Amino acid sequence: MKSVRGSDLPYVLYLEIPFETAAQANTAVKVLSPDPILKPQDFHVRYVADGSKLCVDFESVDDRVLRVGVSSIIESIKTVVETIDEFS
Amino acid sequence: MVNLNQYPPKNGRNYYLALGLEGSANKLGVGIVKHPLLPKHADSDLSHHCEMEILSNVRDTYVTPPGEGFLPRDTARHHRNWAVRLVRLALKEAGISDPSELDTICFTKGPGMGAPLHSVVVMARTLSVMWDVPLVGVNHCVGHIEMGREITKAENPVVLYVSGGNTQVIAYSENCYRIFGETLDIAIGNCLDRFARTLRIPNEPSPGYNIEQLAYKCKNKDCLVELPYTVKGMDLSMSGILGYVDSLAKDLFNKNTKNKLLFDSQTGQQLVTVEDLCYSLQENLFAMLVEITERAMAHVNSNQVLIVGGVGCNVRLQEMMASMCRDRSNGQVHATDERFCIDNGVMIAQAGLLQFRMGNTINDLAETVVTQKFRTDEVYVAWRE
Repeated sequence: MKSVRGSDLPYVLYLEIPFETAAQANTAVKVLSPDPILKPQDFHVRYVADGSKLCVDFESVDDRVLRVGVSSIIESIKTVVETIDEFS
Repeated sequence: MVNLNQYPPKNGRNYYLALGLEGSANKLGVGIVKHPLLPKHADSDLSHHCEMEILSNVRDTYVTPPGEGFLPRDTARHHRNWAVRLVRLALKEAGISDPSELDTICFTKGPGMGAPLHSVVVMARTLSVMWDVPLVGVNHCVGHIEMGREITKAENPVVLYVSGGNTQVIAYSENCYRIFGETLDIAIGNCLDRFARTLRIPNEPSPGYNIEQLAYKCKNKDCLVELPYTVKGMDLSMSGILGYVDSLAKDLFNKNTKNKLLFDSQTGQQLVTVEDLCYSLQENLFAMLVEITERAMAHVNSNQVLIVGGVGCNVRLQEMMASMCRDRSNGQVHATDERFCIDNGVMIAQAGLLQFRMGNTINDLAETVVTQKFRTDEVYVAWRE
């Protein structure tokens, strides 16, 4: 996996979450994008919709920050998925 | 004059529908309200008289074991677990089969705990995008005030806002709810909750309620345990009182007979009970609140008080406020019961719908970021004269 921003944050993770439709993946991108990252110098995240897939790129200064950041974003993604699942 | 009808309801209906989502602390609330579209609201100052109808008001509280408070992370997890189910239940109770009929979805923008606020706004955004319904971000305190005004029909009251996170005396002036006085350290509800933790009494239904019930059982009401009384101008301080009453409670539990306030120095007989401490704490704190509220009433020449927030359903506080008001000419106290006092979704829907009717909606999801600090006086109150 290549670093998306060309930044020098060494710890990276790439997730692909499949949705049923492209519209749902786009919804997820719109919902997740607004929230600011508390320490932008230590942690980056980027959301893109690729067809019906939600692709998330994480970059971080160390593995601990990466783990904490990723787990909190996964919690948000779970809420989005549950909401879409229940009301569509 | 204010025109509340400038943005008509969806699909040419003659009523507005708003969904309110609240989750700034340990209560998760979902409410749906309906406002009829009435000609009188086109040119008047009737934002406290919307003829609001509550279609549903559901709530789930995250309750911790005795002696423990609620932490942001666990509270957020509770909200995530329940949010979708509560929205489903609220829609069912309201009889709304097609949620895209809603005019607006209102959520709490702040103030409150960051993680719980965020867990709710993520769902709010998703619903908004899916149903194509605009969002409105609501200040939690303004939600309490607008709810109280609509329920009690108090037109221009001095507002005492007392809850677990806030203690403020508020009066309206020139499109702003101005803060006349507030706590300098901890909120009154926080003070009561933490004392309840020291006493290890249950947090169900709420710690403050259990302290109130213990205070009723006090047999020694003529003889208050003396506690610090800290009113500083229009402001209050409660952390010192909490520290002191906590130390008394600990001495009581440890049977520290050296404490002459609690134990007779000759016989070692116990003079004060837990019930007495609860009673004295309530009397002391509420007297401070009544004092600054009365001063605010004198300042703004008002004879109405509206008590909102979770501590506002304490009957003793309402009694003390009523007796102060009786001594002033024509004073009136307005308070609501636990359905509306304690955090709920309806209050967010009510304040949010007023904002919506004044055109204050969110166009870009970037404006939906929640904030832990959001003062009552930062909100432009367009819906009042």
